[in-house]
Amino acid sequence: MKIKEKITTPAPPGALKAVGSILLACALVICGQQAADATAINGNSETILRMREGVFDDHLFPLYEYLNLSASDSAGPGAISLEIGGWGRVDLGDRSFERRTEGDIQYGFLSYRANRGNFTANAGRQWVVEGVATERIDGLYLRTDLLAGFTAAAFVGNPAVTEPDIEGGDLIYGGRLAHSMSKYYSVGLSALRTQVSGEGIREEEGVDLWLHPVAMVDITGRSTYNSLTRGWMEHAYTASVTPTDALRLSASLQNVHYQDYFYQVTTNTLSLTNGIILPGEEMWNVGGSVGFNATKNIGLSAEYNRYEYDLAGDADYYGVTGNFSTGTGLAAGLSFHRMDGSTARLRYNQYRAWATQKFGPADLTLDFFDVDFDSSISGRENTFSLAAAAGYDFSPNLRVAADVDYIRSADFDNELRGLIRLSYAFGIGKEGK
Amino acid sequence: MKKTAYVMVMGMMLSFLYACANTNSIARVHPEEVKGLPRCAECHTDQWTALSHQAQDFYLKHKIYAAQQRDACNTCHKESFCVRCHAHKEEIKPSDKYKDRPELSLPHRGDYLSRHRVEGRINPASCLKCHGRQNNERCKTCHR
Repeated sequence: MKIKEKITTPAPPGALKAVGSILLACALVICGQQAADATAINGNSETILRMREGVFDDHLFPLYEYLNLSASDSAGPGAISLEIGGWGRVDLGDRSFERRTEGDIQYGFLSYRANRGNFTANAGRQWVVEGVATERIDGLYLRTDLLAGFTAAAFVGNPAVTEPDIEGGDLIYGGRLAHSMSKYYSVGLSALRTQVSGEGIREEEGVDLWLHPVAMVDITGRSTYNSLTRGWMEHAYTASVTPTDALRLSASLQNVHYQDYFYQVTTNTLSLTNGIILPGEEMWNVGGSVGFNATKNIGLSAEYNRYEYDLAGDADYYGVTGNFSTGTGLAAGLSFHRMDGSTARLRYNQYRAWATQKFGPADLTLDFFDVDFDSSISGRENTFSLAAAAGYDFSPNLRVAADVDYIRSADFDNELRGLIRLSYAFGIGKEGK
Repeated sequence: MKKTAYVMVMGMMLSFLYACANTNSIARVHPEEVKGLPRCAECHTDQWTALSHQAQDFYLKHKIYAAQQRDACNTCHKESFCVRCHAHKEEIKPSDKYKDRPELSLPHRGDYLSRHRVEGRINPASCLKCHGRQNNERCKTCHR
């Protein structure tokens, strides 16, 4: 196995890279076609004030602004849109993180979607989800339908990593080729490569599938191979059978080889050298669930998961969940889960009860979450959080919500947290949310 | 020179295959507004019945649907919806941000900071979906 190189120089700020890639994308598009009047401009703003105490009795009042903007024009043979989202934070009280102010551009890209052939071209900071790739990149993404049920996708750019301890790469590229019969199946082959100065630090290939042979059966899954370690990273498959509208049976299988799966992460926390993630470990997770909608307003489910490890002990996780709602604006849920592991820490009961009631434009929510350990964790056997939230819709576009959360955990005796959120949606034209 | 020619030929071939595809693109916006957790089978009898958000295993399977046909997700969800959970860099847990939406399957409910050293041992591979390449800031607070 290769020894990962430790970073010795700070990575360029992600926001600068994102802005650069957006500007480049804008320039490319402007050169490519005439500017169009946007037929839809939408946005939403969330202003959030958190209130809590820190570990050292410091008083934390971080104020956040989350802003998402979308402008699109669909007058031509396709739709061109600009999507930008990010957040900023300022500490009104003591410092909540390393810096008193912080921010991030989560995404910012120009997109073109043709009316024919599902052709999509995105340029900028974006989240690429294609087969083995689940990556945030500053770059270019292309996808299209081809002849005879084939589809192709490709992406190239700079991997957007945050605060890396270990090199995250300066170039990432990959693609996916798939064949589909929309009613019955879709099978894709995909690959990605991340490199630093031309040397590959991640090389992954995989197959993903969705099978729908008959109306009541739905199978999804993915297998991913690491070319650098020459081992399978993961196999993960889930099959669902829906014999009636009210009943759904599901079975899942996951197999993970830690040495191949955690081969190139950018944080020490999940690295193979930290003593927490054991390189020789292999995990099997086999599980199943049954979901039953007794009526339109009552849903019940039961689940079971078995975890088996080569090095660590095994564990069983099982439980039941119930949800119901009424026509009078009441919705509620109850759940009980049991973790039965081979170590004392992995033996506990987990309870949750929640209810929310609407009163016209107002709503009230209570949420109780309790974990009862068989033996004490840091001197405590029972930990819980009790949250109460209230919201008021001043209009379809303007909402204020506030919550108080009381927590008794392994680390805190009586922790009280508060949050106030002002949400405002604005814009013209009909778009998704 | 060889490389350029190769790329040009590939580009022309793909353009030809695209031109012959002759498929209609998935609608950019769902024709009817959908509220709450949709049960797609109420209207659909085609392959989209699989996307019922009320199914107990939808949370487990949605990654594959998104990786295969993200345009279908985009008919109702914009990028701003996805980043609520799949953020590049985030300081507020989704389950903290949306306490007034208890019906959603938001990760890390309750006091996960204390609990993650217990639960994280069960399936750390699931952590890598959000942490390990992004969202490393919270990890670095304690894991130096």
